[in-house]
Amino acid sequence: MTTTAERTATSRLEAPPGGRPRQARRPTGGYGLGRVALVVGVCVLVIFIFGPILWLMLWAFAGIWHYPALLPQRWSLSWWRQVFDYPQLVRSVGLSFTFAPVVMAVSAVVCLPAAYALARFPVPGRRTMLVVLFAANAFPKIGLYITIAGLFYALHLMGTFFGVVLIQLLGTIVFMTWIPAAAFASVPRALEDAARDVGAGRVRVFLTVTLPLAAPGILVALVLSFLASLDEAQGTFLVGVPRYVTMPVQMYSLVSDYPPQAAAVFAVLLSIPSVVLMLLVRRHVLGGSLAKGFEIR
Amino acid sequence: MKAALRRGGYLLAASPPVALVALFIGVPIAVTVIYTLGHLGGPNAAVSSIALHQVSAGDRLLTFGAYREVFDEPNFRADLVATVWVTAASVGIVLLLAWTIALFARLSGRRVAGILTSLAVVPLFIPVVIGSYAILQFWSYGGFMKTIAHAVGLSGFPALGFTLGGVVLAEVWVSLPFAVLMISSGLQAVPDSVFEAARDAGASTLQAAWSILLPMNLLPTIIATCFTGISILGSFTVPYLVGPTSPNLLGPLATETFQSFNQPQQAEVMSMVIFGLAIVVALPYLWATYRSNRDTATS
Repeated sequence: MTTTAERTATSRLEAPPGGRPRQARRPTGGYGLGRVALVVGVCVLVIFIFGPILWLMLWAFAGIWHYPALLPQRWSLSWWRQVFDYPQLVRSVGLSFTFAPVVMAVSAVVCLPAAYALARFPVPGRRTMLVVLFAANAFPKIGLYITIAGLFYALHLMGTFFGVVLIQLLGTIVFMTWIPAAAFASVPRALEDAARDVGAGRVRVFLTVTLPLAAPGILVALVLSFLASLDEAQGTFLVGVPRYVTMPVQMYSLVSDYPPQAAAVFAVLLSIPSVVLMLLVRRHVLGGSLAKGFEIR
Repeated sequence: MKAALRRGGYLLAASPPVALVALFIGVPIAVTVIYTLGHLGGPNAAVSSIALHQVSAGDRLLTFGAYREVFDEPNFRADLVATVWVTAASVGIVLLLAWTIALFARLSGRRVAGILTSLAVVPLFIPVVIGSYAILQFWSYGGFMKTIAHAVGLSGFPALGFTLGGVVLAEVWVSLPFAVLMISSGLQAVPDSVFEAARDAGASTLQAAWSILLPMNLLPTIIATCFTGISILGSFTVPYLVGPTSPNLLGPLATETFQSFNQPQQAEVMSMVIFGLAIVVALPYLWATYRSNRDTATS
């Protein structure tokens, strides 16, 4: 029983995509081979992850590009001009960058105090609250949006700015609460107590000790919420159309109605803020700020 | 009295996100449940007044008519099977890749580890609609993979755009960062000494990984599995852009049923089916959370 399980696991790990053999990291026997396998594996990973993005970027500058050429036959910037000449597209860029910071700010105001309370105080039913947030995440968005539409009609939120903010906000609550809660919880109480002992007040302790130490987790949550708003299309389409057509909503029609160049140009535009934000928080995300938030304690 | 007041204050401070979720997610779910069971009035009046082809409970307490109708449709059953299949395959591949990457990152030096995880985390920051479209272009007929395959003489290489295989690829691409982050941060927390002790006792790297790292890293693995599974089950953008129209996945199918066929009740039945599957996927997570919390509470 155990051996079968072990064998399956072994054979699985022996032949991962990219074919890194098991002796890869063993100092004795085939260290060089392991090196080679590692390099091959990394190359496969690079192609799998970056290939599609780079390919799309090439399309953004392609005038004529027919299969099976590896590069466009003729380069061109004409699609960039067309996209910028199309007022509807420019407007959607503006809208997206209006909604994203607003949603991020509202989400922070709603969730961050709660995150602090959940991390630091004996809130009754604390774990239930965290799990309820999770359960809400498990319901498929489209099902939610259909009934929310009824609710929004009743509350006169359909087609309004606030309605769009609200629908985008719903997708940010879970990580805006969980990740900062874990960040606050990981600040050692002893440090806060020490600051209190030397005479700092509650507010001062929070601002000079707790907040700076929890900042990476909060920053990660803020960036993720900004990106979630920038990425949300389904709910925005349902609530915001025709007045609030954001970039991702526009992207759907571009994909189906225009040649790949137009969508590619738009995709590159839409990715720029993401890349900038990624560089900003990469270190913290890799450092475990995100992962910590998902282990409810 | 004072203690009760304080507890109330804590509860109040912690409640805004939960209140928001209760009002705009909890209530809609409850409304959805009664709608699918045939109650068309009350909160459902606005939606049902313009909907086509509804099943009403009439004077009865409830009816499963809408569910029966949806399940009687052979296309729906095929789509359900496809959804489960794609989810299972994607989750399996994501876990395998994430463990491989995390394990290499753990066993290599700091620099290699940084490069590996940095790479794997990139899709987290790319909007899903763009990632999906990019993957579609990359793997389709006329895309990079076909071009390369053609150049080396593999003209039989499949074009994966608009196939379920393509959906699996795209779902893996989208889900990989979260799984890698969860599993690698769990692995980094395992001290070197534990690993070296196992190696000293004669275990190979893989034996050590299987018998020590996996049990120690079970919770992050379960979290990665559940969240990946749930997000794939309900996903819309990836299968809508990359997938075939038949079989469709349940996310786009429910959207289409609502937006194109104007049958919100049937769309909600499909949403309930997705929700049911998501709960099944979430059970190990809830169990593990409960267990780990109980363990920390008693120790």
